[in-house]
Amino acid sequence: MAGVYIAYPFCAQKCTYCNFASGVFPRAQERRYLEALLAEVRAHAWEWRPETVYLGGGTPGNLAPDDLHAVLKAIPGRPWLEATIEAAPGAISGDQARHWTACGINRVSLGVQSFVEKEIRRTGRKHTAEIVAREIRLLREAAIGSINIDLIAGLSGQIESSWRESLDWIERLEPEHVSVYMLEVDEASRLGKELLAGGARYGAAEAPDDDRVAAFYEIAVERLAGLGLNRYEISNFARPGWESRHNLKYWKLEPYAGFGADAHSFDGRMRTRNAETVDEYLNGARQVGDLPHCDERFFVSLRLMEGIRPDAQEWQRHDAAIRKFLEAGLLEAADGVLRLSNRGVLVSNEVFAEFLTS
Amino acid sequence: MDREFIRNFSIIAHIDHGKSTLADRLLEATGALSAREMMEQVLDTMDLERERGITIKAHAVRLNYRADDGNQYQLNLIDTPGHVDFSYEVSRSLQACEGALLVVDASQGVEAQTLANTYLALHHNLEIIPVINKIDLPAAEPERIREQIETVIGLDASGAVLCSAKSGIGVHDILEHIVHLVPPPKGNSEAPLRALIFDSWFDSYRGVIILVRVFDGCLRKGQKIRLWSNGQTFEVETVGYQSPKATPCDELSAGEVGFLSANIKTVSDAKIGDTILDDEFPADEPLPGFEEIKPMVFAGLYPVESHEHGLLRDALEKLRLNDSAFSFEPENSVALGFGFRCGFLGLLHLEIVQERLEREFDIDLITTAPGVRYRITTTSNEVIEVDNPTKFPDPSSIKQVEEPIILATVITREEYLGGILKLLEEKRGEQKKFEYIGGSRVMLTYELPLNEIVLDFYDRLKSASRGYASLDYHLAGYRVSSLVKLDVLVAGEPVDALCIIVHKEFAFERGKELISRLRKLIPRQMFEVALQAAIGNKIVARENISALRKNVIAKCYGGDISRKRKLLEKQKEGKKRMKRVGRVDIPQEAFLAVLKVGNTEEGG
Repeated sequence: MAGVYIAYPFCAQKCTYCNFASGVFPRAQERRYLEALLAEVRAHAWEWRPETVYLGGGTPGNLAPDDLHAVLKAIPGRPWLEATIEAAPGAISGDQARHWTACGINRVSLGVQSFVEKEIRRTGRKHTAEIVAREIRLLREAAIGSINIDLIAGLSGQIESSWRESLDWIERLEPEHVSVYMLEVDEASRLGKELLAGGARYGAAEAPDDDRVAAFYEIAVERLAGLGLNRYEISNFARPGWESRHNLKYWKLEPYAGFGADAHSFDGRMRTRNAETVDEYLNGARQVGDLPHCDERFFVSLRLMEGIRPDAQEWQRHDAAIRKFLEAGLLEAADGVLRLSNRGVLVSNEVFAEFLTS
Repeated sequence: MDREFIRNFSIIAHIDHGKSTLADRLLEATGALSAREMMEQVLDTMDLERERGITIKAHAVRLNYRADDGNQYQLNLIDTPGHVDFSYEVSRSLQACEGALLVVDASQGVEAQTLANTYLALHHNLEIIPVINKIDLPAAEPERIREQIETVIGLDASGAVLCSAKSGIGVHDILEHIVHLVPPPKGNSEAPLRALIFDSWFDSYRGVIILVRVFDGCLRKGQKIRLWSNGQTFEVETVGYQSPKATPCDELSAGEVGFLSANIKTVSDAKIGDTILDDEFPADEPLPGFEEIKPMVFAGLYPVESHEHGLLRDALEKLRLNDSAFSFEPENSVALGFGFRCGFLGLLHLEIVQERLEREFDIDLITTAPGVRYRITTTSNEVIEVDNPTKFPDPSSIKQVEEPIILATVITREEYLGGILKLLEEKRGEQKKFEYIGGSRVMLTYELPLNEIVLDFYDRLKSASRGYASLDYHLAGYRVSSLVKLDVLVAGEPVDALCIIVHKEFAFERGKELISRLRKLIPRQMFEVALQAAIGNKIVARENISALRKNVIAKCYGGDISRKRKLLEKQKEGKKRMKRVGRVDIPQEAFLAVLKVGNTEEGG
């Protein structure tokens, strides 16, 4: 069974670490976008009943009640096994939470990033740990059954003690799911640009270096495991049974259909993607992407801690690379299953790149 | 044409003092080009020449000028290269002239390069017409510059033309001065042919095109000619002149300047400075001054992709068709694989060749640090010449090492003296002269090892003087020096392409610097990598690159698998562009780190 992804790239502000094509756009454009999005969803020939729905952003939590209702109504298959909405803490009300439940949402992913005031301010966000706690209470009261909290390791000003403070809040708030992302430094975000240029804006001068970020990640892996939140994918941790069903589809190469700007689809055979920017999306249709490569499993599915079970051909084709990484201790193999070792996780790009056959 | 009405002249100027603009004005004023054509056609025709604002190849343009005396004159403007690397070519171009315009910027004054070329012109007995340019600029001080020309060069500048090439002021005066002051060429049209080759280049349609100045006799289409230096004979296919478009003519007679083609296959056959003789009636004596040009600066050129080795060889062969001054021979490096040891006239020449290879032939190159040719006497009294640091013999078998020395002239302003003197000392310079040349300007004459110049001298001089220093130099022999080979070991393995020859006194310090630079340039690997600098068996510097801790993509945004793939492909591609030495991937920049050693100011 397949999943549905809805892209809503609108935010109240652009965070300093954000390297996505999302952000703040004129009101009128948002209106036109919603109309185009609805049209795209309605025009879709549903040959299957979606099992999961994921509203990603941007900040879809900011969608007006009627708009959210209209979008979800256009998607068949309710009640879905899992229907997630991404939201930014700081503006979630009880009414809103109840409306989400009423529309079929049963999982909320909160872009908390940090519970430490100094770190939060530097990202440009305005919430506090207490606000997050209050809003999680509201979500629980509205019968949201599954909550995810996003954390970023590598924010400027972050030190070991402050990172542990954020992890303490995870213990207190008891979410079913946690995502730990390591800050991506590239030209696409303001903070990334500043870091690359060696500047000091957005607290760049106080950003922890790669070694410390790696250490923070390892601290998180250990601490979250102690809370019963097991790492099931490089950046994702969940209590058993509460893994994100939708995201698992990506890693297990199961089909999904994406709607909206820069949304991606995979029908099990072909990968397609929509125009990347809102402007392009408003002017254009879908673009056709590449066929999946036979090596995709080796950099997508291998992200899962359960690993992959290569077939005879794959063992043979990648013999040299597999052997090299087994020897280096970056991969582990047992009973025909190949998985990343703890050390391998942190340098997984080095492993994955080797498996690219192109 | 009657020699009485021919004038051959060139323009001597420092970069940015307005040579090209003045040349354009002269072309325009004599009707050689319309103002519109000017926009498209300037004398510097290579992209590289335009971008860098320098002349690499010589040109000779014929201007027809009706002077105030009512006579029609043939003015041949011979535009010369303006860089110290090409001083031999400059001297040959000047030999083809009877006069030169000395163009000096009315606010900047005389520079080292101008000085050197003016002396060259005086050496060839050229009539020199001082031109003070840019007099319409607010900072212009023509009187001070006039005085400077007299004191520094020792030239009577009372009749100097005040000019603004940009606005056209003085251009007419310049043309009249050329007619009246530059003597007409001597020579005898009836005598056996003697023509000077002052430049040549390869044209894919017509073969080698030679620029000549005829001193005696006549050059005609169909004539059988002989080259003095190698005795080769050719039949002249075309003769002509540039106006500035190539214009064929019947003959070039004594005193005239023009081009010829004779189905010559490579420029190395038509050497600059050589004399063209008539094969049937050869003159007894060649024209004076011919020299085989020898490369002074050497570097290894390697393809990044080892399978492009053949491509690189073809490209080098093609370039050599057009540039006989550079040499190459196959070379093998443990670290870099198969490549070529190339010899150049100087650093600019190296850069030009390197850029042309990358641009015109699309080959990614690794260039090893440029060096010079050492003369080594072994303990068995054998004298060998070594231009590749890796071939430097074992210290125990060396009796003495001699290195090439240059005599350098630096002209700068007083306020930058401190930094420049420090730089010259750091570069092992020996002061020969220190002169004030008026207007708070100083002229320094130093003996320096050439090796110190090829590292990063230009850049350092520029930054020490904020661009207000000019440099000129020429080779001044060899000197015994205590030099050692500094080896670099990466993860315990010597990387031959990283070794350098340094003075014993600086070896420790430079080794430390080189290692610390390399540490920043070599990316972290999957394991800890030791970097060491060593002289013989003695380690003089060591640093470690700690193992890579983290390289992971965290997000999987909305099922965007292609973004992940692209990122991984980019990483893989980046690695492919590095050179793997043992187990370590070394980026191209690391091989150039050697260049920056000794530059303590930069730090990062």
